[in-house]
Order: sequence, then C-alpha cells, then structure tokens
Amino acid sequence: MSDSPHSFPASGHHLSQALGAIEDMQAHASDGTIDAPVITDRAHPPILFGAGGPLLKQFDESAASSRKGSQAPTPPRSVVGIGNKVAKPDYSEAKIVLAMVGLPARGKSYLSNKLTRYLKWLEYDVQVFNVGQLRRSRARQKAQQSGIREDHGSNYFSHNNVEATKLRDQLAEDSLEMLIQWLKKGGNVGIHDATNSTRSRRAKIESRVAKEKGIHVIFLESVCNDPAVIAANVALKVSSGDPDYQGQPREEAERDFIRRIKEYEAVYQTITEPHLSYLRITNVGNEVTVSRINGYLQSRIAFYLMNLHLKPRSIFFSRHGESQFNVDGRIGGDSALSARGLQYAKALPDLVKNNIGDAPLTIWTSTLQRTIQTAQELPYPKLTWKSLDELDAGVCDGMTYEEIEQAYPEDFANRDEDKFNYRYRGGESYRDVVVRLEPVIMELERQENILIFGHQAILRCLYAYFHDLPQADLPYIKIPLHTVIKLTPKAYGCDEERYTLPIEAVDTHRPKPKVPEPEIPAASTAREYYDKRG
Amino acid sequence: MAAPLYTTASGLLFHAGKILILTVGLPARGKTHISRALERYLRWMGVKTQVVSLGDYRRKTLGGAQKLPPDYFTLGEKSPETLALRKMVSEGCEQLIWDFFHAGGQVVIYDANNGTRANRQALAEKFDKEGIHVIILESVCDNKEIIETNIRNVKISSPDYRGWNPDKAVEDYYGRIRLREQAYETVEETTWPFIRIINVGEKIMVNNIRGYLKSRIVFFLMNIHNRFRMIYFARSGQSLIEHSYKADSDLSPAGWEYAERLKEFVIERRARSLEQRGFNPSDRRLVIWTSTRSRAHHTAWPFLSSSQISPIPPTISLAPDAGSAPTTTRIAHGPSLTVKVIEKPQMSEINPGVWDGLTPDQARKFYPEEWARFVKDPYAFRAPRAESYHDLSVRLEPILIELEREKEDLLIIGHSSVIRCLLSYLIGLPASEIPAIEIARGDLLEVVPTSYGVHSQAFHFWDGPGRRGEEFESGGSGKDETNFYENYAEDTKGKKRLNTLEGGIVSQSNS
Repeated sequence: MSDSPHSFPASGHHLSQALGAIEDMQAHASDGTIDAPVITDRAHPPILFGAGGPLLKQFDESAASSRKGSQAPTPPRSVVGIGNKVAKPDYSEAKIVLAMVGLPARGKSYLSNKLTRYLKWLEYDVQVFNVGQLRRSRARQKAQQSGIREDHGSNYFSHNNVEATKLRDQLAEDSLEMLIQWLKKGGNVGIHDATNSTRSRRAKIESRVAKEKGIHVIFLESVCNDPAVIAANVALKVSSGDPDYQGQPREEAERDFIRRIKEYEAVYQTITEPHLSYLRITNVGNEVTVSRINGYLQSRIAFYLMNLHLKPRSIFFSRHGESQFNVDGRIGGDSALSARGLQYAKALPDLVKNNIGDAPLTIWTSTLQRTIQTAQELPYPKLTWKSLDELDAGVCDGMTYEEIEQAYPEDFANRDEDKFNYRYRGGESYRDVVVRLEPVIMELERQENILIFGHQAILRCLYAYFHDLPQADLPYIKIPLHTVIKLTPKAYGCDEERYTLPIEAVDTHRPKPKVPEPEIPAASTAREYYDKRG
Repeated sequence: MAAPLYTTASGLLFHAGKILILTVGLPARGKTHISRALERYLRWMGVKTQVVSLGDYRRKTLGGAQKLPPDYFTLGEKSPETLALRKMVSEGCEQLIWDFFHAGGQVVIYDANNGTRANRQALAEKFDKEGIHVIILESVCDNKEIIETNIRNVKISSPDYRGWNPDKAVEDYYGRIRLREQAYETVEETTWPFIRIINVGEKIMVNNIRGYLKSRIVFFLMNIHNRFRMIYFARSGQSLIEHSYKADSDLSPAGWEYAERLKEFVIERRARSLEQRGFNPSDRRLVIWTSTRSRAHHTAWPFLSSSQISPIPPTISLAPDAGSAPTTTRIAHGPSLTVKVIEKPQMSEINPGVWDGLTPDQARKFYPEEWARFVKDPYAFRAPRAESYHDLSVRLEPILIELEREKEDLLIIGHSSVIRCLLSYLIGLPASEIPAIEIARGDLLEVVPTSYGVHSQAFHFWDGPGRRGEEFESGGSGKDETNFYENYAEDTKGKKRLNTLEGGIVSQSNS
C-alpha cells in the first residue's frame, strides 16, 4: 500500500473524511481501478492498518478531533502508535494467610512450593514464611551474640520439653506476625510454613487473623500415608543438606529426623474443626477435601491443588523449526518452515524416540502452520491449541524489528523499556499471554508426558512457570531454535536437559538493550533451606 | 478448556466415563438450582448432560399433588396403591437415566430427594454395577431465608399448588418438608465420592473426587451462588474504524454519545428493575467488566467520571464503601453510585485474523475457499490467523466462572461476539447457534438468573450511527445476506449457517 498515490487527509481534518478515504481506497483496491498497481491477490490482500503502512499514522493524527464528541471531562488516553504499556491488574483486595498443616516429610513444602510458583506466575505477591528458617536464623544470631548453641535435635521438638515448646510456639507466632505485617504492606498470599499440627495452634492462628479486616486464613493440610513417599521425603531432606543436620553422619541424621516426626505424631491432630476453611490433600491430589472454601482466589488455589499429581513424567518444549519469517527477520505471521526448519522436523522422531522409548506421549501444537509442520513426522497423538499461538504483535505483525523501529522509533524504545507490560496495538502483551496460558498450565499439571511445539514468547512464559523466573526477565529468556528442552518435575523444581540438533538456524533472541542479560538460574531440584535473600 | 478441546474415541469427553450424580437434600434446598446450573455448564463444555427430575416426572405422569393419594408424601405405612405409584415414578426416572446413557449421554444429574441411606445405596449400586461412576451431591441449607425465598419463588408456583392461596401453599410446603426431615439421613457414608454444598455454594465439602471432569465439576460448584443479582449486557460504542481489530480505534463521536446514554439508561433501568423486586438500588454495587480494547473500556468511561450533571432522577444514593479497591470510583449524581470497572483481556472480540480490515466482498474475493467454509459453519470455522467461535468460547471459559461467582450486579460492556458466547451460555443455547444471535447496538440486555435458568429481556435505548452495521454502511440495501461491514464476526445480526452441518465442534481424535 505504501506506494499508493492516494493522498490522505492531513491531521486536523474531520474524521469522516479520513474514513471516507479509507473506504474509497478499499473500494478501488478491490475492483482494480486504483491508479498505481497495488498487488492484491490471495497472498497480498490489502492490509490497511499495519504499522508498516502510512494509514495508521495518518489515522492517529486525524483521530484526535473525535474527542470533541465526548462530554467526559477527562477522556481516557487512546491507543496510538504501535502499542502502550499496560498496568498490572489490581489484586489489592486479595489477602490470604495460607497456613500449612501436616507432619514433617508429608510434602507440605512440595505443595507450598508449587502453589507459590503458580500464584507468582499469575502476578500475585506470594511469600513463604518458614518457621524452621526463622528458628535457625534466630539460633544463629544467638550463637553469634552469646556463644550459646541451641540444640535442635529431636529433643527440641518433643512436646514434653516445656521450655522448647514455649520457644517453638513463640517462633510460630512471630512468624505469623511477620506474615500479617507483610500482607498489610501489600502482599497477597502469605504461606505460613509450619506443622501447625494441633487444634490449639490452629485456633491461635485463627483468632489472630480474625483481628485483621480483609485478611482470611485457609489451612492446607497435607496428608501422606504412603510409606515409600515418606521415606523418600525423609531421605531427600537429610541428603539435600538440611542445615539442622550439617556435619552429621547421614544415618544419624535420618534417625534423628524420624524421631522428630515421632514427636510430632504424638500430638498431631488432623483438621476436624468444622468451622475452619481448609483443604486437605491426601497423597498429592489423590484425594481432596475442600471445606468452607470461599472466594475467587481460594477456589483457584483449590482447583490447582486438585490437579497436581506425582507420577514421574517429562515435559518437552521445542520451538517450531526455523520458519521463513525467522529467516527474513519478521515477527508473527503464519509462514511455513524454511528448508532447515524442515530438516529439524525430519530429525525429531529419532531424538524423541531415543529419549522416551515406548512411553506414551502427546504432542501439543499451536494452530499456526510452522508448529504443525514441525510435528508432522512424529507418530504420536496430537492436539492443536489456539491458546498456544504466538504473542499477537497486532499492527506490527509481519514486520521486521528494523521496520518497526524506523516507523515508530519512540514506541519501539518504549517496548524495550518494559517488555512484559507492553501491549502491541491490536495485539497482546506478555501479561496477556500469561493470562491466556493459565488453562494450559492447569492442563499441563494433570497430564503426563507432553511435547509442546510452541513459539518463542509462549515457551518463555511456560518455561518461567516451571523454573519460577521473575516476570521482568521473562521476555528475555533464551529459547533457541532447533533445541528440545526437557523438563522433569522433581520435588523442589525441575531438572532440565537441552538437546540441540546440529541444524543451523537464525538467532531470534533480542537481548535487553544496555542491561546485562539476566542470568537464568541453574536448574536445580535441591531444596533450598536458606532463604535466598538471607 | 471449556468448550471441548477434543473428544475421545468413544465420543465422551476427558476420559471420564459415564457419571451419575445423585442429588440428596430436603425439599427447597436448591437442588434444582444446582442441578440446572451444572447441566448448563457441562453442556457448554460439550459434555452430553441431562437433568432427570423426579418431581417433574411425577407431575407429568401423575399430575399435581391434589391428584395424588393423601398418603403420598406422608410418613409411615402407605397403601399398596401409593407404593405402586411411587415405585412407578422412581422406575420411570431410572428408565429415563438408562435411556440417556444408552443414547450416548455422559452425565446424568438425578434431581430427587434421595433422603435415606438405604435408598441411595440401592440406587448407586444398581448403576455402579454397570460401570457408571456415581457421585453423591448433597445440598444442605441452614439459612432460613434461602429456604423461604426458594419456597415462595419456586415451589408454590409449581402445578402442585395451582389455585392455592400463596401463604397456605407455603404453609403446606413447610409441612411437606417437616415430614421429610423426620426420615432424612444426611450423607455420612463414604462408600461413594461425595460433594456437600452448604447454602448453595457458600461452603463446600468434597470427598474422594478424582479425575479431571469431576474436579472441574467441583470447581464449578465452588463458584456458584443463588444470591439475587442482575446481569446486563451492552455493546461497546461505535468506534472510528469499526471493521479493524488491529487498529484498536477509539470511540467515534457517536460512540461517545452512546456511552453517555448507556450510562444514564443503565442506572435508570437497573433502579427500576431492582425496585420492582423490592431491592434498594443504593444498597448495591455495580461492577462493570469490559475488554481491554479501547472502544470497550472507553464506553465505560462515563460511569467513572464524577463531575458532570446529567438528567437522571435522584433515585440513586450511595452506600459508602470503605473497603473498595482503588479502581472503584464514585459517581456524584447528587446522590451517587458505587461502580467498579474491571478490564479483562480475555474479553476482546473474536480475532478476524487475515480478514481484519477487509470488507466482506474483499474477504470473499481474496479468500474464496475459506469464505465458503465459513458461511457453511460459522461456529467452528477458523479463518487463517483468526479465532473461530469455538476458540472464543474456550478463551472465555475463565470469564464464565467469574460470571458465576460475581455477587454484585454486573454490566458487561462487550463486543457482540463475546456477548453472544456469554449469553448463549446463560440461556443454554447450543454452540452452533451462537454466531446467529442478534446483538444490536443500542439494546441493553437484562438477564436475571433464576432457579430454572434465566429471564432475559432486551431494552432499546439508543438509535444512532452504528446501531446496525449495515445501515450505517450503505443503507442496508444490495448486500449479501451473510454480509457484514464491521469486523466480520462483530456484525449485529450474526451469521446464520446456510447448510446444516453436523456438530459444530472441531473434534480431534485422541487415540
């Protein structure tokens, strides 16, 4: 369209003239009476409002006058150019204390970890207040100040030990107090990670939270009666460097830890209080009891926890093979694979087969032909998800970054400033993509082996969920072409392996300008006993 | 997930097998409300679902209560005739359930009292033996107000009480409940998976519920309520470039005018409707949902502006709301009104893909094959890069859940494609009819959820440019019947499919 000889109304002209011109132009374009040859065939239908053409700009300039019709004293800002930054949704009304209940080694931390990741990914402000950590850091302080080392062996956890019981109660209360203060300062979900194993302890939590208007408490009890799972949890706790057992021989540590569990078991009371809001998860998702769960976020949490399972499985991510648009440096579009991309598709069956053998696998693709083509050689059941389509670049769809920068230099810089929150005009922001991927995450949690052929932005969002990466870094995660990423969920994170096929492809990664690349934390399934900040 | 993503080889969804949900509860505990809501939701997800209501069946086969023998509802020894009648009714219902399963149905909700343990056990065993998963769904209600409202609004209008004095009917119905109470055994057995709902969604207890479809059901039930509320739908105002999705253009002068008028009309209409039903509009908040598109949330703008004078009668007053979020803005109309506007990205109109900005003639010219397929099946067909109505339904699923849970009065300022999907969910229309629903700009749709479904009514409030796309464009003449000028799916009239095709859903084999 750019070579069209039609002139457009200059800014300030009445809008209907602009619209009239658009209509004229369309009419001419479709009946072929336009002066200059405008290619309009199936492959090149008239694209009127792309950021590449002159129309959008001229329209924006002329549109300014339309506000005269408005009686609104302060009319809202309209979208101009190629997009704008969008504010985070308002979650200020959501304030929840999620108090964990359960014996040690029953998967409490597993659940609270998963939930934290999920809610953070949905942009809720979540923080875990771990009583064990508080106990250790206080003991460390005390040791530094007075030289007295507290003994945190199983004796300390005995309910016959009056002195220690008082100390432990105090710790739990302090930790709850910190949590409530944090909620008041704007947090959304504070997870009180402690055993909270007796009725009286829960009653204390309940009455403390009841004093705060707008804050609700739900208890999340994790029950596990599978001895194998418990033994594995104990082993994991001891072997992954729990600071309580630093320097102790493994067997001794394990014995002590089992004694500690026994001390808790002696007084443990499962939740039967009929008036409490609680969720009881037995053997992770096998059985769920939901009681008095009220409120949007609470029901979301319940539904999420209902969908979890512990069956071993892997999730594979791969971008589509290199597409023609990748080669041309264009974004969006629905182009076919390049020759190298097709080569990648051909090489995939062997790679997948070597990796999972005869295990069942389901393939998910987007509705765009480049992902479907990439999956075409693979002999597994396939599903197409509209929700997996690439981030919609709106008016910039089909352009190169250079073209965008040339046409809209300022807007272009704006997007680089805050890529996560930037919504392309007529398209999406990364946040919009996260919202649309939420049902996909829910489905992924309940599925077993899945291979997803996705797109750069889509896989960045999914990858950030599985590795708990912060939002600001999300749009800069490296997801190279012709690479299969294998994620294996483990107790405290995901193991990752990458298989890069030796088929060349262009690099479509654009680093964040002038800022060092975020370091992607090494994938780790180890439990972190110390707070990263402390 | 929503509308079905795929069907399994058996034609059932989600590998969940066949499910019989037995409702348990005393009369007037909202069993019917819950059953119907669940039926609507599951059907919308594409699950073949049917409510079998014992009460309806009895009234259909035996007639109203006055035609029954006097000992039909009483306790104690019953005459052989009454026993035979009761047996006939329950057997008839069971037959209906079997018929539905045999015809390929997946979920039956058996809406009956099922108040004794022995009775439930016998019934559940019978179906369990045939491989049908049985779930017990108990509805408990200790809120007298809910019960009373339910009796007054629903029960005494039943044929059982035709011609009765309302107060006498209520009295009689309470008598019926009392008799049932004596024999009622709440669900304590854990033989079968069960869900207990207290006060229609206020609280919920779940036991031994496994599997996706079942957890989906629980999630849905966690979100429903039967508090009275009004739901309004209106289209966004006319925008500068109606037919382009990408341009995301702002309101035209007519659109701004429309927005002002909409605000006035909604306030007036809502006040009237609420007062008619005995509510005080000033006690209630109005929540407005819009999409993130300029034309939609700018249409809500007048609701947020505070300093203007408008000719609305001062019937609205404000209950100051201390705990409201920062997005809440008050309108000062002398007395004022509490409004909260929320933008939801899932509510953008259907994406026209490559057809964006094209006139129908152009679309047909450049994409003749796609056009032909679209006209044949406007629900399931997805143009290149576009969304089908099916895609849109899937996208809107989280919105439906939020719609169910919203307790305040709600105004949805939306795009016609989005309103079509939401409305057809509320009314319970089959998917294939969604694209054909007419949504004119300048009509305010008022939807009031009731026990058996919804009451909906349209109020016309505005005639201006852009009310009906085709009139605005070319005087409405000489155009194709299936035509449009706006974004192809945003047309007022909707698309009727020309040929009837089987099943509007794109199904994919998962085997």
